[in-house]
Amino acid sequence: MKKALILVLLVIMAAGILFVTSCKKKEEAAVGAEEKVKVVLYVNGTLGDKSFFDSAARGLEMAIDNLGIEGKVIEGSYDTARWEPDITQLAEGDWDIIIAGTWQLQEILEKLAPQHPEKKWFTYDTSVDYSKPGLDNVYSIMYSQNEASFLMGALSAMITTSDLPAANPEKVVGFLAGMDIPVINDFKVGFVQGVEYIDPSIKTLVSYAGSFSDPAKGKELTLAMFDQGADITFNVAGETGLGGIDAAKEKKKYTLGVDSDQYLLFADSDPEKASWIVTSMMKNVDNSIYRGIKMHLDGTLPYGEAETLGISDGGVGVADNENYTRIVPEEFRAKVKEIEDLITNGTIKVDTAIGQ
Amino acid sequence: MNPLLKSIFSTEFAFAVIRVMTPLLLPALGVAITNLAGSVNIALEGIMLIAAFFGVLVSAFTGSLFLSLLAGIAAGVALAAILGYFHLKLKADIILGAIALNLFAAGFTIFMLFLITGDKGSTSSLKSLVFPSVHIPLIRHIPVLGDIVSGHNVLTYVAVLMVLVFYIIVYKTPLGLRIRAVGQNPDAAASVGIKVDRIKLYALMLSGFFGALGGLYLSMGYVSWFSRDMTAGRGFIAIAASTLGGNLPMGTFLASLLFGVVNAFAIYIASLNVPSELIQMIPYLVTLVALTIFSLRTLRKRPAKKEEKKLHVDEAAL
Repeated sequence: MKKALILVLLVIMAAGILFVTSCKKKEEAAVGAEEKVKVVLYVNGTLGDKSFFDSAARGLEMAIDNLGIEGKVIEGSYDTARWEPDITQLAEGDWDIIIAGTWQLQEILEKLAPQHPEKKWFTYDTSVDYSKPGLDNVYSIMYSQNEASFLMGALSAMITTSDLPAANPEKVVGFLAGMDIPVINDFKVGFVQGVEYIDPSIKTLVSYAGSFSDPAKGKELTLAMFDQGADITFNVAGETGLGGIDAAKEKKKYTLGVDSDQYLLFADSDPEKASWIVTSMMKNVDNSIYRGIKMHLDGTLPYGEAETLGISDGGVGVADNENYTRIVPEEFRAKVKEIEDLITNGTIKVDTAIGQ
Repeated sequence: MNPLLKSIFSTEFAFAVIRVMTPLLLPALGVAITNLAGSVNIALEGIMLIAAFFGVLVSAFTGSLFLSLLAGIAAGVALAAILGYFHLKLKADIILGAIALNLFAAGFTIFMLFLITGDKGSTSSLKSLVFPSVHIPLIRHIPVLGDIVSGHNVLTYVAVLMVLVFYIIVYKTPLGLRIRAVGQNPDAAASVGIKVDRIKLYALMLSGFFGALGGLYLSMGYVSWFSRDMTAGRGFIAIAASTLGGNLPMGTFLASLLFGVVNAFAIYIASLNVPSELIQMIPYLVTLVALTIFSLRTLRKRPAKKEEKKLHVDEAAL
């Protein structure tokens, strides 16, 4: 009796397995027929930062809308222990392109990409180390944030030495940094150099918040910098930086946004706050990812290489909006444009904090 | 004078100390009252977060500060009551329950945020209100003191007032007496007819009330929006502050003030050319040092008590 029961169960199980596997084959065949390229973007954080990751997701959405690909964003949260198993799972799935950015994922990609040579990989805001073997299927996008940051520094220096309504006589500017990491320091190096290019006697205060998600601390740090004589600050600190913008509104001082056009972000919900955002340094992650996917479809994407997108490629730049024109006098804007050209044609060499 | 020194000895610095202290003092009072009742509540992080969130949400949709104050407090007290239900009714370990609620609050607020605003980071797309700043008449005109004490957010004054409320509740009301009795010896309290679980629940709900005010201050005073995980560990620093203050009203206030000074100091010297990791360590280092000194002092007192007991025993033997 018992043996018969076991036998029946075994038969059912075997039939079940057969059924499932045959279904799977059918599914695969269906996908193959459509031949849509499947792209997944792995965000090692969460969306909603109003800057960096949101921009990356926007790039993928643009590609879904315009290039006829299939795509999905996976949010991995800030739990570092989850990242590697998550990406391993994606690598074993049926995605064609896996996009995973930031320096924190670099080592994981260097390990996983050679194990999955049939997949294509993008990374952004960092580069894998191509001297390691088996990375011919990885395309790295880097941004010369130091160049655009240089422009922010130069603009800040012009404003702090000017007689604009909210500028004070002290020759001090501020820089609110999220964390002491290479990418953020790359912003800093460019900014400080830009300030000194205009006037070496201007002092740049640099405050590290140690967190990308503590707006109260960002506000407090920025208030302290205003208190120490700064009249314009540049925030490069994710959500912490939003606190810096709040501080500018409270003290009626100038501030500079980052990654996305943060003036447009607040222009509707809080026009008074938005009015203190002189301009924003754009880091066009969205465009770069869209461009990468498009080049992949055209078959022109240089896998196995890192590309650095600077001002001239539209990778980074200065946000041009009505507030910028309203606050900043024509001659300053012309000067920013002039410096931009000098950087593009290589007359000004901007230092970098990456790869040191 | 060096501009940094000048700014540290300025009224602005003292003003910043009070501003930084407020979101620590309120939850610290919350921890203190449950400590007195013998069931320490470490869910203040979650309570603050959930109150901060509902306050902003209700203010954005109703445009009423009063309603958002009520909503924030209700959310905080409700979360504390849930903890009470787990701990007192279901007999779960209060530490585990509180950890679960902290994690729940972090996830739940992001989930609701996404459902309502379609954004997972912050409510900056909502037009929410803030509690006003208040200038105290007369005092505002006193030089130096006026600059430091006047002009804070109304919730900062509420926080200081709450120290007094805490004192009155704990030392001047029957409820306070029962809270302390339950905390010191629940069996003895039960033997004279005090409902131990009910008193502990009241203490927890009071902690939810204090914590909720702290949360509202963060999202509707300090800054003008809610962003995920914006409490950033303040609910945990509060545990240290209340312990350091011996769960006494004035002690908790002074301990929070100390943390305020240390944090503001770290913020002011952040712009110096000192390694940032070192500066970010200062508040925690001071917490450790202060707790060590505190523990050593209580240790030194204890042997004295033992000797006293010995004497009593000897007397009894005689």
